[in-house]
Amino acid sequence: MAGQEAKPAAAAVTGFFKAIGKFFSNFGNAVAKGDIFVKLSLLWMGAGYARRKQYIKAVIVTILEVAAIWFTLTFAMDYVPKFGSLGTTEAEMVFNVETMQSEWNDYDNSFEILLFSLFSFVVWVAFFVFWMKNVMNVYELQKKDEAGEHINTFKEDLHDYVENKFHIVLLTLPVLGIVVFTVIPILLLILVAFTNYDQQHMPPTALFNWVGISNFISLFGGGGLTVTFGYAFVRILGWTLVWAFFSTLTTYIGGILLSLLLNNAKTRVPRLWRTLFMVTIAVPQFVSLLLVRNFFANTGIANTICSNIGLVDLLRNIGLLKTNYIPFLSSPGWAHVMIILLNIWIGVPYQMLIATGVLMNLPADQLESARVDGAKPYQIFMKITMPYLLFVTGPALVTDFVKNINNFNVIYLLTEDVFVTTNQAMANSQAKEVDLLVTWLFRLTQDYYNYKMASAIGIVVFIICAVFTLFAFNRMIAGSREEDYQ
Amino acid sequence: MRKNMKKCLAVLLTAVLAGSVAGCGDNGQQSSGNNNNQSSGDNSGDTQSGSGSESKDTPATSGETIKLTLWGAEEDQDLLKELVGRFEEAHSDQKFDIEIGVESESTAKDTVMTDIEAAADVYAFASDQIADLVKAGALANLDEVGAALSLADKTLDDVKSANGEAAVEAATVDGKMYAFPMAGDNSYFLYYDSSVISEEDAQTWDGLLKAAGKAGKKVGFTMASGWYNAAFFYGAGFTTGLNEDGTTTMDWNGTSPDGYTGVQVVQSMLDIAGNKAFMPMADGNGSNLIASGDLCAVVSGTWDAKTVQDVYGDGYAATKLPTFTLNGDQVQMAPAFGYKFVGVNAYSKNVGWATVLADFLTNEESQATRFEQREIGPTNLNILDTDEVKANIAIAAVTSESDFGVIQLVGGKFWDPVATLGENIAQGKLSADDEDGIQKALDTTVEGVTAALE
Repeated sequence: MAGQEAKPAAAAVTGFFKAIGKFFSNFGNAVAKGDIFVKLSLLWMGAGYARRKQYIKAVIVTILEVAAIWFTLTFAMDYVPKFGSLGTTEAEMVFNVETMQSEWNDYDNSFEILLFSLFSFVVWVAFFVFWMKNVMNVYELQKKDEAGEHINTFKEDLHDYVENKFHIVLLTLPVLGIVVFTVIPILLLILVAFTNYDQQHMPPTALFNWVGISNFISLFGGGGLTVTFGYAFVRILGWTLVWAFFSTLTTYIGGILLSLLLNNAKTRVPRLWRTLFMVTIAVPQFVSLLLVRNFFANTGIANTICSNIGLVDLLRNIGLLKTNYIPFLSSPGWAHVMIILLNIWIGVPYQMLIATGVLMNLPADQLESARVDGAKPYQIFMKITMPYLLFVTGPALVTDFVKNINNFNVIYLLTEDVFVTTNQAMANSQAKEVDLLVTWLFRLTQDYYNYKMASAIGIVVFIICAVFTLFAFNRMIAGSREEDYQ
Repeated sequence: MRKNMKKCLAVLLTAVLAGSVAGCGDNGQQSSGNNNNQSSGDNSGDTQSGSGSESKDTPATSGETIKLTLWGAEEDQDLLKELVGRFEEAHSDQKFDIEIGVESESTAKDTVMTDIEAAADVYAFASDQIADLVKAGALANLDEVGAALSLADKTLDDVKSANGEAAVEAATVDGKMYAFPMAGDNSYFLYYDSSVISEEDAQTWDGLLKAAGKAGKKVGFTMASGWYNAAFFYGAGFTTGLNEDGTTTMDWNGTSPDGYTGVQVVQSMLDIAGNKAFMPMADGNGSNLIASGDLCAVVSGTWDAKTVQDVYGDGYAATKLPTFTLNGDQVQMAPAFGYKFVGVNAYSKNVGWATVLADFLTNEESQATRFEQREIGPTNLNILDTDEVKANIAIAAVTSESDFGVIQLVGGKFWDPVATLGENIAQGKLSADDEDGIQKALDTTVEGVTAALE
């Protein structure tokens, strides 16, 4: 099984590299076999088009070429040469009373150098590919010309983009958006993980520089300045996985049971019930979670009730409590359980919706024949309903797990300001027992400006999620199982 | 992370803009990054020669509109609008474009440090943030830019002498003044219900807890916060300090100059926290709890004055922090005494006028208006001396603490470990008999607080 699954993945990877190789060999071919104008296109990108009388195209690519050169000279050259050191001149200023303004030296800003260098690299790579593609296009034109085929006019080319190559037109904007809003920030995050960008090295006043992999070494307990960082990391990672597992499992099972209950013929007014459960979705999470947090605070209403009915004293007397209150959300064991329980309340309605949808599409013939064969409801559930549900909702389950690894809202809103850790080693690394990697990361950047460690943690979270998703998807959506339900 | 992303995007967009501006001609003034520094240098050069020919004494830059951004607390917006109006009137020969934004004093540092160059020219912040802000270069050195105050016909020395000595000292880092003192009530003291607790009981923790226990009520204190629980340690003579590299010094695991050990202090705190009439509060959750009416006394600050007054009614009273029993003695708790400041962004384009505005917002007249409209305790000595200020129960209580209050100098690593120490005490995770355990907990706390910044 595993071997079979590995094959498509491996084929995809080799296919990708083959495609790149082919691109380069095509380019080499075009340069070698092209006429003088194709070769001239290496320098002046419009040359080939001009020779084939595609003047408008020639002007456009020439403008792009000039723009790229101008971008390089006026923008990229300000930053890229400093990319290796991330800047050397620290900011200094002198106040000038006459002008009422400060006079600054020509200082370096490490963050801008990093960001704008990266931006330049991306632009250059894009332009380089465009430049190679251009030579290949021109060579195609040459071949067409030699074969005496019709060469498109500019109008025909435009028409072609609407008729035959419409997908390119459609995808241009989204791809551009992904590069600017996703690819560049992610690459930046990765780069920051290899610098010492933190409170001690905050641009613009101070500079930061490259430190290699030392952030990862201290993250995994390699000593250095952060003695307890590795300690905290392992515990937080553990709780993150435990949380993701239980929160996914409990809401999934809860959702299925609830929808079975609501779908049962004996349930009266199922619509009313369903609507009631949906209300939790309708109220924004941060409102309901903050309210619940106050209910279960050390001095909240839940504690008042418990102490009025004598539960607090009872627990105190049998030695389960040392405090005047039940630490629902403020002591590790209690808080861990409470968070998972509260998450059931938040998460079940979503799962119920999904399960209801799937249950409505259960293959009726199978249920019917099972009943004819005398299967009991429990057997039907275990042998037909559940396997079918698992099969259909499997992918959603994987996404849920990954989503829960990064479930910032529930954890942060329920514990921020309420939970104070009693574990001193954790506190020394600004961590809490109830933190997920993502909330820890948030506070490190937000409260402690520890961007370098936050980036390192971010990369680790990404790797965990990516590996898990790949593995789980390969297992669950193995092609062979699909036929079971056809 | 999220903020960082936002910042990236902002920078990217500015990059695109900067590119287009520079494209139109090569004299882009407001483009971002390094280009900017050169061009502002050119600008100042030009203006310098221009104004130099006019007159040498008065630094005048009229003609150009001065653009400034000002950040203040949400509750202060109306007040700030009024004060800015007066400021523009006072300097009517100069055109201004002053934009007022909302930024709480308690979170100013976080927002400013996310992108100092994009932060406001003038902003209000709580005094505990000053060390980090100075370290990040986000505050202009007033000893340097204070010369601009000649526009308001005063000098920095006038500012220093007009405000309380302690307030000026708190605004000073490494011998240089970095901010204008605005408010002197950023500390905590004891509110109590005089119908339950007598004035005498309110003087000691023992008396408080006893009276509260008798009445079936509770005394609220925020144990799990390094701002509040430090009052026990400061009272016993322990200290915290800030090194030049941003790390914190702390001696709580040793013996104080007064002869008390840190272990003894923790034992006293455990004694208080273990009392049934003691109610540990969560940081920032005070108002809810006070409103519930369970508390007959609570340690909080002027921000809760109205809530407490509503709940206690005629019994409303406030006084300095109580004393606590330490090794058989009654020792006065020494609160972390904080101020609210107005600072000038070092990266401001118009740092001179920004300084003049910051001074105006904190001068005697403005502080008087602030007290009238918002009941915020002043730092200006003349206003502190007025009968109105003295008659305000809460402000009288907090200002009475300025004699023994401690200016809390700590770095960012202080808060989490000390909060954890307090939480351990509040939850009774430490035992008063286990001196070794307490010592070890204190050692770990000190280790975490004094750790190098990574």
